[in-house]
Amino acid sequence: MIDAEDRRDSRFEEAAAAYGPALERLARAYEADPDARRDLVQEILIALWRSLEGFDGRCSMRTWVYRVAHNTAASHVARQMRIRQRVFVGLEELAELADTTEGEEAAGHRDEIALLYELIDQLKPLDRQVMVAYLEGMDAASTAEITGLSARNVATKIHRIKQVLARRFREGGRDER
Amino acid sequence: MTVAEVQASSGKFQRRIQGRNAREYVASAVMVVFFGFEFWRDGDLLVRIGFALLIAGLCYLAWQLHVRASWSPLPKDAGLSSYVEYKRRELERQRDALNSVWRWYLGPLVPGMAVLLLAFFRANPGHLKHPAFIVVPEAIFFAAVSFGIAKLNSNAARRLQKEIDELDEES
Repeated sequence: MIDAEDRRDSRFEEAAAAYGPALERLARAYEADPDARRDLVQEILIALWRSLEGFDGRCSMRTWVYRVAHNTAASHVARQMRIRQRVFVGLEELAELADTTEGEEAAGHRDEIALLYELIDQLKPLDRQVMVAYLEGMDAASTAEITGLSARNVATKIHRIKQVLARRFREGGRDER
Repeated sequence: MTVAEVQASSGKFQRRIQGRNAREYVASAVMVVFFGFEFWRDGDLLVRIGFALLIAGLCYLAWQLHVRASWSPLPKDAGLSSYVEYKRRELERQRDALNSVWRWYLGPLVPGMAVLLLAFFRANPGHLKHPAFIVVPEAIFFAAVSFGIAKLNSNAARRLQKEIDELDEES
């Protein structure tokens, strides 16, 4: 029993060291409010620590960590949706939506990272996961393993993400339409 | 975050969850106290049976709410499930709970309400001449509220099924 707990603790320390910064970025993609984000990171780490008791190597540590993190964050988003009555869109709708930027003045005041997170914040959890994985440099197969989407569907979504990003970041964040 | 910090946070987190869930049972507890007072106050056996059944129904309902709807931490095997699998299970659980409100939400209150109506009926024999004036409107009101709740839940269950279908299309 003590051995199992020690194993879990040492796995957690390794995972927290290796993926800590990535988990912070992931939380940023799911929660814009800094206080709520701190809670979310904490919730993810607790969920990860609890889950590692059952880690049996059937998938890689990275896949395990991201699955736990995304599932925790998606539950967080679902709770926020109920509380704040928010509605999220898919990548298809995001590509179609007019940019909310109010002209050059607003564009000039926002940096690209803020704009990126603003885009991510509008997405449904599944599309948000694909976008976060893409920005973390994961390939389609790894993203498919974490999300449960088919690799083909992931590839399609990544193609749309690239289109959305290209359109939104063209000319410093202004939509050309 | 170190292991010691995460262990300390985990304890606090669990207490927060328990506190949040406990608040959800306050309404049931208030009703139980009220019905308990009525049970204690009224000397009529049938009325007391009615309130006892209502209290039992409320306790069952609160327990079902705890089992089906309380906020719980992520399961320990969460790392084995992709988001689609995890989300699908959650949506199915919620859909089934909404589709079966008659069994676990409305049904448990029916015996108590029926016995209380019967007790009222028996205690007011004058109304026996015109039972429709007393019993029928009350029964219709109770049935209408119940059907309204069931209908709202059924609509919500259909929305969840749509979400499940969308997930299936994506995966």
